[in-house]
Order: sequence, then structure tokens, then C-alpha cells
Amino acid sequence: MDLLDQFSNINFYLFGTFPKGEVGGLLLNIIMAFLAICFSCVFGIMLGYSRLSCRLYIKLPCIAYIELVRSTPLIMIIFWFYFFLPYLFGGNVTVFWSAVVSLCAYAAAYQAEIVRAGIMAVPKGQLEAALSTGMSRYNAMRYVILPQAFKIMLPSFVSFFVSLFKDTSVTYIIGVMELTQTGIIVSQRQPDKIYAAYLSMAIGFWVVCFTMSHLARRLEKRIGVFDLESIRPDACRDEFMLVPKTKKTGEGVDETPSCCSSDSK
Amino acid sequence: MIKFIATNKWFHNHHVLRNINLEISKGEVIVICGPSGAGKSTLLRTINKLESIDDGEIIVDGMYLSDPKTDLTALRAEIGMVFQHFNLYPHKTALKNITLAPRKVRGLGKKQATEKALKLLERVGLTHRRDAFPVQLSGGEQQRVAIARSLAMEPKIMLFDEPTSALDPELINEVLDVMVSLAKEGMTMVVVTHEIGFAQKVADRVVFMDDGEIIETGIPPDIFVNPQHPRTRNFMSSVFHIPVFGETEEEK
Ligand SMILES: Nc1ncnc2c1ncn2[C@@H]1O[C@H](COP(=O)(O)OP(=O)(O)O)[C@@H](O)[C@H]1O
Ligand SMILES: [Mg+2]
Repeated sequence: MDLLDQFSNINFYLFGTFPKGEVGGLLLNIIMAFLAICFSCVFGIMLGYSRLSCRLYIKLPCIAYIELVRSTPLIMIIFWFYFFLPYLFGGNVTVFWSAVVSLCAYAAAYQAEIVRAGIMAVPKGQLEAALSTGMSRYNAMRYVILPQAFKIMLPSFVSFFVSLFKDTSVTYIIGVMELTQTGIIVSQRQPDKIYAAYLSMAIGFWVVCFTMSHLARRLEKRIGVFDLESIRPDACRDEFMLVPKTKKTGEGVDETPSCCSSDSK
Repeated sequence: MIKFIATNKWFHNHHVLRNINLEISKGEVIVICGPSGAGKSTLLRTINKLESIDDGEIIVDGMYLSDPKTDLTALRAEIGMVFQHFNLYPHKTALKNITLAPRKVRGLGKKQATEKALKLLERVGLTHRRDAFPVQLSGGEQQRVAIARSLAMEPKIMLFDEPTSALDPELINEVLDVMVSLAKEGMTMVVVTHEIGFAQKVADRVVFMDDGEIIETGIPPDIFVNPQHPRTRNFMSSVFHIPVFGETEEEK
């Protein structure tokens, strides 16, 4: 058996039966992740923002939702919406939409916590400064607080989005024709291609995740998140290691190993 | 211009402002001093209603602060405030820090706002730093930008809350110089500070506060050199290392 033959299902992995039939494969994972990210962003920001309210009738439902979702496995949420949505909307809800809704409901709870932490991390003096110049609360949030909060949130958002993308693979369980499903189908129907199938899944997920992190890093560089030195990806702290790599020539922790200091400016 | 009438404020059951009565007229420069925790910041922050009061009334430029119908944004647009820790917007350049409020509140166009901001930067001597971000500025420069940011709204009153106490000693004067020139132009100013030189140069009156109360009010020499109240005397001698006449009398 030759290599080309092993990967003869590549189109199926990438697009499902797309031009003839429905979209599937890796493209479907990307579409699901994209929709879930877009919808859950809106929902998550609203949820995280309301969670900060001091009014209990606003705050408590938000906490209840967030804690409920965060203490439930994703697969349960997926099953739950799979059975619940058709009950609400009749039998014509596709597995695709039921998957997107579950991912969205799941993601919103986590995003709410990221949003909350980001807003809380902006010093209170910033709001006071903005208000004291006569800006309305809305303008102060929009032009002063949220841009700073967003910068703080960005790294957490990215790592969450990457993991959400990987989580789209769980939806194979309700029969969504995404990359995992296509791989499983091929490995069952053509057992001789089982290695190629699982290798394709791995590569598919890796390529997308790597691209996402890479783009995010460029975005972070552009908007200058890295003035927070602690979250620079290339930051290292040799002096904290139990066995430091660099031999000290001088003394003192102040002397940063060359790997950290070279072009941090 | 500003009038406190029997003002009281509590934080939970902590009485931070006790029966404050104070009238500040237009163009006056008031220096407030007193020990830490005396309620100086709180007093200042009630003037633009960053803190609300529980009892009494404050009238600022004809607006009654305890009236819920008072338009807070209009009130605050008339009052500039400068903070101990500058509170510049870290994600905006010096210039953008200054233009933000005039554009959003006064609705100035970009060109007009920039022109005005450049004039103010020139005034505080920072034209060359217009595109610097706050992290790139020294403390003194940040505070001068913060003053320019407040002035951009053309306020009638300026409030300063310990504007120099977070600065290295060699940077204090550049900030005080700006404040002195502002005072000389007739700005109504309320300044919480322990810079005695500044107070003696421009203050019309000094207010000494302790434990939420105004203990003593008077012209600078009276308060600093010849205070009447023992609490004022103690504070002045411990903070300013000024040999106070009354105290040496007592010691003898
Ligand atoms: N937001 C707040 N909540 C509760 N107590 C406060 C708050 N702000 C200030 N205080 C208390 O009020 C008192 C006066 O504070 P402040 O006005 O900051 O004093 P000063 O500026 O003279 O040092 C202090 O005892 C302080 O602990
Ligand atoms: Mg204070």
C-alpha cells in the first residue's frame, strides 16, 4: 500500500462531502468554533459584566449560570441541548445547531469569568479619572476601562479559544460530521487506513491551533500587551530555577540571563 | 463658588466628615492639610461627587449636590481633578489623554481638540512628549500631563489630591510651578498638600483637618507658624519640623 492511497480520503477529512453533500471535516470544526466564539463573546461579555453588579437580582442568576456550567462536563451540556432543543423547537433542529448552541452556552460561562477578571484588574482610579473629566459612565467604560481590560483579557481569551476549538471534536458524539467523526468513519470502513485517519486528525487540529496562537501572538505584539512582562511568551526566569542554567559571573538576582534581556525593549 | 453646609458623611459607622462648614469663593486658593486618615481626600471628592454625602448640603457653582436631579456630568465637566497617582490612561499617548474628554464631552472635532491639547502641553512644558505613553514618562511629567488633561475641559475649579506626594523630591517643583502659575491666573483651587512652600506662596487660606473635622482655618502664617489649636500645633511640629512658639512655651 502506498502513501498516497493511505491519504486518499484527505478531502473527506478537510471538507466532508462538501461540494456534493454537506460541509464536514475540519472545515466544520472551524465553522462551529467560529460561530460559538462569536455568539459566546456577546453572551459572555454581558454575563461577566452583569456578574460585577452589586444588585443581587442581577448578580445571583449570573453566578448560578456560570457555576452550573463550569461544574458540568462539556459532553453533558452537548447531550442536554441535543435532547432539549428539539423539545423546544420541534424535531427539526439539526445536530450542527444543537452542537453550536451547546458550545456557545459552555464558552459563555468561561468567558464571563475572563471578562470579570479583566475588568476587575483595571485600577479604580481610571474610572474616577474619566468620570472627573465629565465623561459619562458609558463613555468611560467604552474608551477608558474596556480597552485596558481587553488588553489584560486577550491572552486568556486566546488560550480559551484554542481549547474551545479542540472541544468542537466532542460533538462527534451526537453525530456532527466534523474531523473526528470523519476519521472514525474512515477507520471503521477501511481499517487498513486507521493510522492515516488518526494522524490526519492530529495534524488537522494541530495546524489550526498553532495558527490561532500564532495570529494571537502577533495581535498581542501589535496592541502591546507585552508591556506586562509576565505574560510575554518568550519570558524566562532562570534565577527561579532550582538548578540555574547560567553560571553566575557577577552576583545577585538582578543580573538577567541573556535569554531574557536581549531584545525585550 | 463652593459652599459646604453642615456636611456629614459616614463610611458604614465610621464618621469621616463631621459637620463641615466651609465657603470657598471664586478665585480663592485653599490648601487642606492634616494627618493621614483625617478625611481630606473624602472632603475633596465630595466636591465633584465622586463621594456622596449623607447629611447637609454642598453647593458648587449654583448646583445642589444632594439634589438627585443635578446633572453630574455637567458638574464634573466644570471641575478638574488631579490625583496622587496621576491616573493617566495607560493605553493612550499624552496627547490622546488630553483630547479624550473634550472630544467626548464637549464634542470638539479632532483638529480642534488636538490644537487645544498642544497648547496645554506647551503650557506644562511637554510639547516634545506628545506621543509618549504614560509608562515612558517620569512621575513629574505624568502629573503635568494629568493637569493638562483636567485643564482641557476649561474647568472653573481645580481639585488637587496630594499631587506631589508620589513624586521624587527633584520632580516636585516642576509640578508645583504649574500649579503656582494656575493660582496666579485666578483659578479657584482646592489643594490637599503638605508642601508648605506652595501654601505660603499662593494659598489664601489653609484648612487644618483632623478626624473628619475642620479644626482650624486661617491664612498660611497663622496656621503654620502660630496655630491656635493644640492638635494643629502637634501636627505642624511633627510634620514640618517647624519650631512652634507655643510648644516651646509649654515645655519650659
Ligand atoms: N471607600 C471607603 N470605604 C470605607 N472607608 C473609607 C473609604 N475611603 C476612605 N475611608 C476611610 O475614611 C477615612 C478618611 O479617609 P481619607 O479621606 O482618604 O483621608 P486622608 O485623605 O485625609 O488621608 C480613613 O479612615 C479611611 O480609612
Ligand atoms: Mg488622602
